[in-house]
Amino acid sequence: MWIVAEQIAAYAQLKRLSPQTVARWQAWAEPDRAALWELVQALQLGENHLRDFLDWCEEIALRDGSTVAAFLARPELRRPLTAQLGRNDKLKAVKDALRKLRYPRLSQLEEELRLAVKALDLGGRVQVSFPPSLEGEDVTVTITARNTKELDEHVTRVRQRLEDGAIQRLFALLDQV
Amino acid sequence: MKRYQPEEILIERGEENTPVVRRTLDHLPDTPVRIVEPGWEREAPPRDGTDSFAAGKRRLLFTRQRSTFLEHCPAGTSGLVCCNYLVVSLISNCPMDCSYCFLQEYLANNPLLKVFTNVEDLMSEVAKAVDRQPWRQFRIGTGELSDSLALDPLLGFSGDLVPFFAARKNVLLEFKTKSDRIEELLKHDPKDRVVVSWSLTPPAIADTEEHGTASFAERLHAAQRVQAAGYKVGFHFDPLIEYPHWEEGYRDTITQVFSAVDPRRVAWVSLGSLRMTPALRAIARRRFPQTRLLSGEQILCDDGKWRTFQALRVKMYRTITAWLKEAAPQAPQYMCMETTPVWEKVFGHAPSCDKDVARMLTQPNLVAS
Repeated sequence: MWIVAEQIAAYAQLKRLSPQTVARWQAWAEPDRAALWELVQALQLGENHLRDFLDWCEEIALRDGSTVAAFLARPELRRPLTAQLGRNDKLKAVKDALRKLRYPRLSQLEEELRLAVKALDLGGRVQVSFPPSLEGEDVTVTITARNTKELDEHVTRVRQRLEDGAIQRLFALLDQV
Repeated sequence: MKRYQPEEILIERGEENTPVVRRTLDHLPDTPVRIVEPGWEREAPPRDGTDSFAAGKRRLLFTRQRSTFLEHCPAGTSGLVCCNYLVVSLISNCPMDCSYCFLQEYLANNPLLKVFTNVEDLMSEVAKAVDRQPWRQFRIGTGELSDSLALDPLLGFSGDLVPFFAARKNVLLEFKTKSDRIEELLKHDPKDRVVVSWSLTPPAIADTEEHGTASFAERLHAAQRVQAAGYKVGFHFDPLIEYPHWEEGYRDTITQVFSAVDPRRVAWVSLGSLRMTPALRAIARRRFPQTRLLSGEQILCDDGKWRTFQALRVKMYRTITAWLKEAAPQAPQYMCMETTPVWEKVFGHAPSCDKDVARMLTQPNLVAS
């Protein structure tokens, strides 16, 4: 039992973690503490990422009446750890998976929008993007072109999607949960 | 609702014989009293213990307001639709302890329960302001830095304020409360110039997150009684909280409210999403580790506050405003601290300026459609 606590303390010193963050983590039940320790070690989390993990883990556990250890064992969170990926890609994959658990409806809406943009089939040089966390109305369409002919093609394709209602549906989707 | 009992009463020298102090001491004859010098609280050592904010609520300090009383409501943040509301604070801090309360952050460094003794200065300030613009309709509330009525049985401020506001034609006074402390109000005639409004959440939330408040049933009973006594009533579904089965919770709450009160004599109903700064979230997490409020799908918005993400928030607003419209078609509805696009999505239009919202709320015939 003390091994994890000591390992966390040593890691905190190495990464210069704040005493508040460490105290919060150390206050968890032993299995929860150990489950997060495994992730922290594998992903070499620093202060900011660790605080996000602590927030999300506590919030998910409270919401679902579950334990941190139970949901951190889920395959979508474990898989990236053993994948042939660099540390940053692993971190991104684990964090994305944890965010989906923490924000299920927001993540689902983001995924639906991603698929809807893909279905517009506007080509690689027309980008459609949404405000961060979908807070706001502005949908940004970026067209990149090397010449007027290319620009005309891209604009024509966007116009077609406007006329057939696909872009209208995309805007409507922003409000649907 | 539990009676407020301070551990200690502190009276600034020179304020011992003010009416509010005398009234309070009559009601609390056994509470230790200490006379302190003006400005004492600035030098007072911080209280020991892990929750100085909670401890501060049990120390009642009587002092003078040396600054102005009348202020613009701080919710009028740039980029958000404002309702042109004014606030006056005779009390700073609250005997209740809601897990989402902004006072936990706002008063973190000075967590006493302060009562200002110079109510006559407040009234003269208000009189000057509203008499200067007799054509304008003002709305002034006392519930910004404290519950408006929770301490009324001790302090009796409503006995000063109701007759003063009842005598003026161009101002509405709003008492905003989560209490059922209305006895003093019932002794006065509001002459249609006083609105008593209740902040409401479904009982499942009120019971777990609004510590030390009156229960939902108690609030409703109090609303019935003040309405019968001639007061207009209002309701604030603020903070609006997204939790599992929120639809049933809010539907049921609205049904019960408008079966209990006459919907035709409801001055206004407001809605406002739960919003918390990052610092407030950290405080709430520390003080109320079991709170479920932080587990909703909230994200950080442009004004630096966490809210339920927009699509879900708009869904909640649309659902609840439709139920309210059905239950109380004449009651004006508005939202607090929301953007113009969200107003457009919810009400189909946004006010062209903040005066529009104020006009709608002071001329009840102009009901939001």
